[in-house]
Amino acid sequence: MVNELIALLGAEKVKVDAVSLETYSKDATPEFQGQPDAVVLAESTDDVVKVIKFANEKNVPVIARGAGSNLCAATVPTSGGIVLALSKMNKILEVSKSEMLAVVQPAVNTLELDLAAAQIDLMYPPDPGSRNVSTIGGNISTCAGGLRGLKYGVTRNYVLGLEIVLGTGEVIKTGGRLVKDVAGYDLTRLFVGSEGTLGVITEATVSLRPRPQFSKYGVSYFDSLENAALAVEEIVASGILPATLEFLDNVCINSVEDYANLGLNRTAGALLLFGDDGDEHTAELNTAQMARICQETQGNISVTRAKDIAEADALLEARRCSLPSLARLKSLSILEDISVSRPMLPLAVKKIEEIAKKYKIVIGTFGHAGDGNLHPTIVVDKNQPEEVAAAHSALAEIFNLAIELGGTITGEHGVGAAKLPYLEARLGKTQMEVLRRVKKTFDPNGILNPGKLGS
Amino acid sequence: MSDDNVFSQNLLDRCISCGYCLPVCPTYQITKDESSSPRGRINIMRAVQKGELSLFESLEESSYCLGCRACEVVCPAGVEYGHMLEEWRDAAWQGKNRPKIVKLLLFVASNKFLVRMLGFFNLRNFKKRNNSEVDLMMGCFERGLFPAVSKSTLDVFKEVSLEPNQGCCGALHAHNGELEKGKELARELGRRLPGTILTTSGGCAAHLSDVLGKDRVKEVSQFFYQKELLDTLKPIFKNDKKIRIGLQDSCHLRNGLGVFKEPREILKRIGEYQEVPFASECCGAAGSYSLVRPKDSKKVVEKKKIEIAKLNLDYLVTVNPGCQRQMKTNIKKGPKVISIVELMQMSLNIKDPQ
Repeated sequence: MVNELIALLGAEKVKVDAVSLETYSKDATPEFQGQPDAVVLAESTDDVVKVIKFANEKNVPVIARGAGSNLCAATVPTSGGIVLALSKMNKILEVSKSEMLAVVQPAVNTLELDLAAAQIDLMYPPDPGSRNVSTIGGNISTCAGGLRGLKYGVTRNYVLGLEIVLGTGEVIKTGGRLVKDVAGYDLTRLFVGSEGTLGVITEATVSLRPRPQFSKYGVSYFDSLENAALAVEEIVASGILPATLEFLDNVCINSVEDYANLGLNRTAGALLLFGDDGDEHTAELNTAQMARICQETQGNISVTRAKDIAEADALLEARRCSLPSLARLKSLSILEDISVSRPMLPLAVKKIEEIAKKYKIVIGTFGHAGDGNLHPTIVVDKNQPEEVAAAHSALAEIFNLAIELGGTITGEHGVGAAKLPYLEARLGKTQMEVLRRVKKTFDPNGILNPGKLGS
Repeated sequence: MSDDNVFSQNLLDRCISCGYCLPVCPTYQITKDESSSPRGRINIMRAVQKGELSLFESLEESSYCLGCRACEVVCPAGVEYGHMLEEWRDAAWQGKNRPKIVKLLLFVASNKFLVRMLGFFNLRNFKKRNNSEVDLMMGCFERGLFPAVSKSTLDVFKEVSLEPNQGCCGALHAHNGELEKGKELARELGRRLPGTILTTSGGCAAHLSDVLGKDRVKEVSQFFYQKELLDTLKPIFKNDKKIRIGLQDSCHLRNGLGVFKEPREILKRIGEYQEVPFASECCGAAGSYSLVRPKDSKKVVEKKKIEIAKLNLDYLVTVNPGCQRQMKTNIKKGPKVISIVELMQMSLNIKDPQ
């Protein structure tokens, strides 16, 4: 098989040495690994077509990969096959100010796209935590979210059109540059979050927004996360749609403080970071109103508004370093990603604390309070089998909890191989079957990312 | 950890595989291949540790890595990549797997007599002058290649002593598969120069700090800045205009010791400072790298040559002899490549108009 692949693409693009097979056997997800049979570094849509047609002939899996920064084992070749690395397809083809859009190759880095947009006073709003490494193709494939989802939405709200190589090797272009276009099923939307199981994205047209000129931030402490969640409720009910509403629980506050020494209040039950952007007047007005609401909410300990950018950056730092500071506690950290409706937030958080107590493990919870997306992070010693087993039992309970509360098992990270076992509990038998039928339509031989969505 | 482990397991365990290191890695930028990224290399190390890959199979990536440690700065989990790379080469670069040129360099640098000879013709006039608590450490290859650097340092810091009988600091060894020897040489130098050790080389500064502690070691720009001497600098003019100066950071100075503001503040006082795009990224000198892998080294520096050409600089300043040699070799036209301390000397020696 290898020789034929090399004959097809050239030796430069095909890797089968032991080192390559090792390094492409994992992504950013802990505990998942699968050895591929070959790695192809594609440079064009044509290369992608060749690989997929070849894989159909030989009946081997193809796993498309961007930066490999996903957290659901979506790019781990769990059934072997060819890892199709798109990292060399990383050109920004066009940024249009008048049409407020960009046309990019799949491996364009998320932050780089936003910086390119910034040069003409525009922005690419989705800002997943991994945006300095993640790719647009990967973002689309997992429908990546971010810190400003409540106000700006997530990746799916910004995808206008795609060029896709289907599981058959056929190339289609969905959508395009148009704001309005209802000709046909909305396949563009279907491909968003499809995790490389229906086709391989080889080009994307994404919409951009005017870049806000000002941002204002503040921070408030509460005695409990429950009361912080009440403040969040009030804020949204008051008619503000803030750009930032992030919270940290007491476990996170303390691990962040141990790590970064930011002068946080270690005894508080919750830290709420709030902020808004836009023109100076509106950002100021909304942040002031959020501060007032926090102050008036029961259980409030203190409210501070950042005076300048440096202060605001220090606040944001507390949120940004939640995961790394938790990760330093022990050798294995599993970052989860459930989402519930805002009214369910206090209950969800309380129950997660109970689960941590029950299994005697550390779970730090931080997340996007504004949109109900929680990141309970379990940290255990990977060399202690009992702790690892407890972590997995706790995970299962957290997923069940999310579903019981009418929420979902993943808000923005994706299903991949990691959460496939829990998917049926969320979708039900019939919908799972529909997923399989959809997959069959686009990938009749089942070569694209098997063992993931639609399998 | 069992004795036959190649790596300290606690170092390997730190990495959470998030991949934040990929965009800043100079070799990943060139290949876009996971195997030549820091995360990929850590996965290679992990496989070696578990016996799933042999040290021989891992050899190519252990040598393709520049060891610039840019990955450490952006790592949210605090992975000590530089230390892991040292352990890697210490295990893999043995016997015939050690590049010949590295063998030669280490042979010279391990021999105190040869190291002295490197500087013999240029520094024989210098004598130990006083019992200052600060000693200048002469870079072993620097004293041969760029003798003016040490001379300028002694002129800028008149109180600093120079002990002529000093060997190599061991950075070269630590980065090229002789970790223990590298540490031992640093300790020996620490005994020979018992006070603060002043160095003109970012690479030596980082290694010495690692072994002797940060308090014992100062790089020249850092030392000058900490002594609050910025105001003594005078601008240098060329054709009635302030000279235009750019800087190439030293990776180990910046990524290992966090020193990057200091040289910039100094240069801002001396002339019209221009930030060179990608100044913080490795220039491809990377210790012995430019000799061991000249083709790859050239690919790394290519991007810089383009950016520097656009800036119309009078001087491109370096803070490490390896970078100085690399930039001098690769920049044939345009700015003069010079060490920061030479420029400081020029600035300090400007006479005020009477």
